[in-house]
Amino acid sequence: MKSFDVAVIGGGVLGCFAARNLMRYRLSVVLIETREDVCMEITRANSAIIYAGYDHHPGSLKASLTVRANSSFDDLSRELDVPFSRCGSLMTAYGEQGLSVLRKKLEQGQKNGIPNLRLISGDEAREIEPMLSSSVRYALYAPSTGTVNPWKLGIAAFENARANGCEILLNSPVVSLEKEGGQYRIETADKEIFSKAIINCAGRSAVNIQDMLFPPSVRIRLDGADFYVFDSRSSHPGLILFEETENGKGITAVPCTEGNLLLDSPPRPYAAEYATTSEGLSVIRKEASKLMPSLDFHNVIRSFGGIRVNPETSDGKDIRDFCIQRPEKTFWSLIGVKTPGLTCANELGTLLASDCASVLEAQQNPNFLPERKAIHCSADSPIICQCENIRKAEVQAAILRGAVTFDGIKHRTGCGMGTCQGSRCRYEIEHLLKEKERSHEGTI
Amino acid sequence: MKEQYDVLIIGGGAAGISAAKTLWLSGCRSIAIIEHKPSLGGILLQCAHTGFGAGLDGRDYAETLLMDFPKDIPCFCSTTVIRLFPDRSALLSNGHIIRFRLLILATGCREIPFGSLPVTGTRPSGAFTAGQMQEMINCHHYLPEGPAVILGSGDIGLIMAWQLLELGLKVTVVEKESHMTGLPVNRARLTGRDICFLPGTTILEIKGMPSLSGVTLSDGRFIPCRLLLSAVGLLPQRELLEGRKIPDWILPAGNCSHIHSRIESVIKEGASTAVKVLSLLDRAPSI
Ligand SMILES: Cc1cc2nc3c(=O)[nH]c(=O)nc-3n(C[C@H](O)[C@H](O)[C@H](O)COP(=O)(O)OP(=O)(O)OC[C@H]3O[C@@H](n4cnc5c(N)ncnc54)[C@H](O)[C@@H]3O)c2cc1C
Ligand SMILES: Cc1cc2nc3c(=O)[nH]c(=O)nc-3n(C[C@H](O)[C@H](O)[C@H](O)COP(=O)(O)OP(=O)(O)OC[C@H]3O[C@@H](n4cnc5c(N)ncnc54)[C@H](O)[C@@H]3O)c2cc1C
Repeated sequence: MKSFDVAVIGGGVLGCFAARNLMRYRLSVVLIETREDVCMEITRANSAIIYAGYDHHPGSLKASLTVRANSSFDDLSRELDVPFSRCGSLMTAYGEQGLSVLRKKLEQGQKNGIPNLRLISGDEAREIEPMLSSSVRYALYAPSTGTVNPWKLGIAAFENARANGCEILLNSPVVSLEKEGGQYRIETADKEIFSKAIINCAGRSAVNIQDMLFPPSVRIRLDGADFYVFDSRSSHPGLILFEETENGKGITAVPCTEGNLLLDSPPRPYAAEYATTSEGLSVIRKEASKLMPSLDFHNVIRSFGGIRVNPETSDGKDIRDFCIQRPEKTFWSLIGVKTPGLTCANELGTLLASDCASVLEAQQNPNFLPERKAIHCSADSPIICQCENIRKAEVQAAILRGAVTFDGIKHRTGCGMGTCQGSRCRYEIEHLLKEKERSHEGTI
Repeated sequence: MKEQYDVLIIGGGAAGISAAKTLWLSGCRSIAIIEHKPSLGGILLQCAHTGFGAGLDGRDYAETLLMDFPKDIPCFCSTTVIRLFPDRSALLSNGHIIRFRLLILATGCREIPFGSLPVTGTRPSGAFTAGQMQEMINCHHYLPEGPAVILGSGDIGLIMAWQLLELGLKVTVVEKESHMTGLPVNRARLTGRDICFLPGTTILEIKGMPSLSGVTLSDGRFIPCRLLLSAVGLLPQRELLEGRKIPDWILPAGNCSHIHSRIESVIKEGASTAVKVLSLLDRAPSI
């Protein structure tokens, strides 16, 4: 049995940033995660956008956190050594209906204090992005929008939390919660932990975690999303495109930090776990060809599915803002944090950590180190992933830092993300993983 | 490592070996091979099936091919060419830059993974490309678990069907044509074997997460499986060209030029490319 000041449940991007920011205080913290590694659920399948902040009502938490997060993202990405590109974005419209949406976003954005937001003509938009079709008539240009590698971001926060003394429990699903002697008794599959406070970041399961102790007050509804990834060697737009159609939100196109183009569908009904649907994929094809007629779908190297979690009131009304529940002074739940959750992960973590520190009357931790270094390696190690030119030493470093599966290596190094999708390097990587496992067994 | 050669050969598979031999025996001594893997041989090293030359398997064939390989030809193995530059130079994984007058691109071919096929559903573990599984089994002693489904009945699909049968797995081959499309020799290996062949259909959806549970076919059938292989064709491996057209100082050979189904034609093309290089060398600019 172990006792902590704070238990963070869930190691997605939100849990990792909550843990990182808690370490700024003199608190003992444990991060508890079901899976064998962090960032393996919702965080693994998203659009990687750091939003400018014009999508949200002035005065909302989403608006203020997004604008703040966006303006400090260069610093954050430098601090955590994570690839980030402030590539800008164009929200495009084909007609008057779309234009009215752009106008509303412009007005909202100006109220939210977003710098250099401009409504421009189709021709001006095509000057910025020549791939845009001639049927685009208006666009909202937001130079501050950016894109980050979402896995590297979440994993960087995780590593930073760990380096600052956060305890990590992987392979540990929380199965029950109870109050015992003024503390929380947290039971995982094989352990019992006590804590004075809980920050519940269990993503899709956050509602279930909260319901273990408190009467149900909110619920979630699941939607799906489909994605296409294009080869980094193919030609694609240089900035993010949000398509606004006559029927509402269209597709999103993101030139990722790794050089690939990512296309994602508007929300669609939930299918199976992280599965793509032919309907969703054909919507992307149709809309993408309308938006960028020269885009060549022969360059698609992968498609994958995502899960969108939408928070609702118990009588089924959409909750538009971030849904932070606090059923008790020392218990916080992030319920159904969807877009812009990635953008605001550090801000949400900061917010929760400071609330938590003040309730627990914790002082600042003078030894907190905000910097974390990414994996870098010298040129004398042989190449393992020929598509992305990743070296063996980088893979070995990823293993030392906690990768236990091929996906874990992929998220940390980019191995297997390229044209061949791991068909040339996967075995060698599995081999290195096994070697590590064996050397571990040997030491026990 | 010298910094410049008249002819640089990227890829030490059958095509690169054959080209290097021909150049050397014709007296062209300023040549080198760069090979990503630890040894020469390329795809031959992962072929445990017979069908190369006079009834040899791929590894034996590679051995005979290398028997009379001139020992003085510089071969840099475990070294990858990362980039090619228009000033006729190549950046290697060890940081060296090699300049050359002509280049033989013998980088072989690549397979098409499920991710790039119009197949919906999940992306579970258990889905591989056929050549990848071939390498895992024959070079790394991996033992896959069945039942297996193979998409495509071309040569590689049929070769893998045979290999998995030999390992005792239950095998289903799905093919969109009405018949097996591989060479007669690869079809013959399967006659009388207990294999389920489903012609005239394809895979629409993959199911199961995180591990594979099966596939749904275009005719609506669901085939449960634990292993899924894509064997739907090969593409010349030309990533080093970064999408550009082939300039006159680069000569592709072997599967990097076009996909060959017989080793004899790869050897022949390696040699003929070398002859062409010799004829171009007089006119090629000096370094
Ligand atoms: C399709 C899509 C696109 C998006 N695009 C963007 C974008 O471009 N920009 C942006 O800012 N945001 C975007 N988002 C939002 C962003 O991805 C999410 O807000 C964020 O990833 C949510 O992270 P999380 O930590 O809450 O969830 P998760 O990553 O799901 O983490 C929750 C973790 O809790 C663990 N867990 C669950 N139950 C338990 C338990 N009982 N015990 C222990 N651990 C448990 C899970 O295993 C998981 O690791 C997008 C979201 C989706 C779905
Ligand atoms: C699975 C399979 C089964 C076959 N079976 C038969 C058969 O039964 N009978 C028959 O006659 N023929 C068969 N063939 C056809 C023929 O034998 C092969 O196509 C032939 O061996 C290919 O030789 P290659 O040199 O073109 O390519 P490869 O053997 O693929 O060689 C290419 C080499 O280039 C290296 N390389 C690639 N990129 C780089 C880089 N950037 N830097 C450095 N090195 C690099 C690779 O590591 C590889 O070693 C088969 C082909 C395949 C694919």
